[in-house]
Amino acid sequence: MCLLVALLIAPAMGAAREHLQVFVTEPYLELHTGAGRGYPVFTVVPRGESVDVLFRRTDWFKVRTERGVEGWAAQKDMQQVVLANGAPFTFPLGDRAGYTSHRWEMGMFAGDYGGATLVSGYSSFYFNSQLAAELSLGQFLGKFSNGTTGDLGLTHIIAPEWRLTPFLMIGTGFVHISPKATLVQPAERTEQTAYVGGGVRYYLTRRFFLRAEYKAHEVFTHRNANEQVDEWKLGFAFFF
Amino acid sequence: METGIRVLLLTVACLALQGCVVRNWIHHRQEVRAEREAAKEEAASASQQDDIEAPPPRVVEPEVERRKITVPKIKSSNIELGLHYGALSVEDFGTNQVYGAFAAYHITEDFFFQGEYGRSTAGRTSFETLGGNIQLLTNAERRFTYYNLSLGYNFLPGEAFLGRGIAMPSAFYWLGGIGSTKFGGDDRFTVNFGAGYRVLPSDWIAVHITVQDRVFKSDLLGVSKLTNNIEARVGASIFF
Repeated sequence: MCLLVALLIAPAMGAAREHLQVFVTEPYLELHTGAGRGYPVFTVVPRGESVDVLFRRTDWFKVRTERGVEGWAAQKDMQQVVLANGAPFTFPLGDRAGYTSHRWEMGMFAGDYGGATLVSGYSSFYFNSQLAAELSLGQFLGKFSNGTTGDLGLTHIIAPEWRLTPFLMIGTGFVHISPKATLVQPAERTEQTAYVGGGVRYYLTRRFFLRAEYKAHEVFTHRNANEQVDEWKLGFAFFF
Repeated sequence: METGIRVLLLTVACLALQGCVVRNWIHHRQEVRAEREAAKEEAASASQQDDIEAPPPRVVEPEVERRKITVPKIKSSNIELGLHYGALSVEDFGTNQVYGAFAAYHITEDFFFQGEYGRSTAGRTSFETLGGNIQLLTNAERRFTYYNLSLGYNFLPGEAFLGRGIAMPSAFYWLGGIGSTKFGGDDRFTVNFGAGYRVLPSDWIAVHITVQDRVFKSDLLGVSKLTNNIEARVGASIFF
């Protein structure tokens, strides 16, 4: 008898739910067979019923209905559901507001590093909408030398709410240069660098933006004079 | 007799004094009462003014406490890590097996960002085979290593059916990007493009078939030319 009572009470308590339960407030919530706009709707959840949110992939949520049916709900439909206490279900969106303020971004570039072709990628972590710590790694492939370069620094977005906005950068890094074997001085070397730079970024759509930048590197060599290297690059990036 | 008169006079005096005291006391009480009445009236008039501004008294005290919902973090599953194995045709150097790893970040339902790394060992050119003991490259230089960063576009999303009961989400996708190839003792800037087919037997597992061309400039055979290095591979990956 006690066991029966416990079994009856347990689902009502709801304290130990593994997944978030949300309630449908629109006339119905459509569930698709796949995480994409073209996948057919195979079931609907009527108003007042709930679904468990299992996980999210891109802009789609995998949910499970009270009857145990699993399907994919679109982000725009999930903005209409509410939590058990009536509060709206909120989550980060990949839109213009997300472009203005986000935590992470990643991107890839093609460009020029002191005359050599450059391939590079970067990742940023934003402390607030304007200030980010940025790590970038690149490989340059030139006629006379190849090498790798890495930078760690700070980026300041001047007006994050603008679609086209300038930014400034400052930081330090390294460059590893391996001269091509055909030249007389084959000694590879790794030097510390410091850089200042600036650029612009332009919001395209959804989570994407373009980014173009220039960095002036000061290479601290072991020789008498330091070297200056200009880095120009253009790429695309996304935030999340 | 004298004593009797004195007692009488004293008694009269006492009574007279007592009478005065009582009268004074009564008078005092009347004043206090009047003050209290005045104070009460003032308070009453003040409270009437307050009542006009104050909210009406609660009729029903709510007994239900608002439920506190702790919103669990919705798990995001956008990252895909996988291994691949296939055949790589290195221009002029024959076809050999290739193996490697890849990582993808799915940004939207349409686009993903992918990084790939692979290794192969090139064979002998026809010239070497026919010429006997001629060796164009050392064994170390025959190692073909590449990496690249690509943008992918899910061109034809759909479903693959296995019998009557199983439907698996699938997509035909385009890939294009830049990277670097190490071959013949040199690193070369490489452009890649290709297409692939992905099918997901479960939400967490994907199987890929991909064909990709890696194009770079090579002067290994005396003249500088663009070489096409076509790779066909199968891959398996897990979503995180």
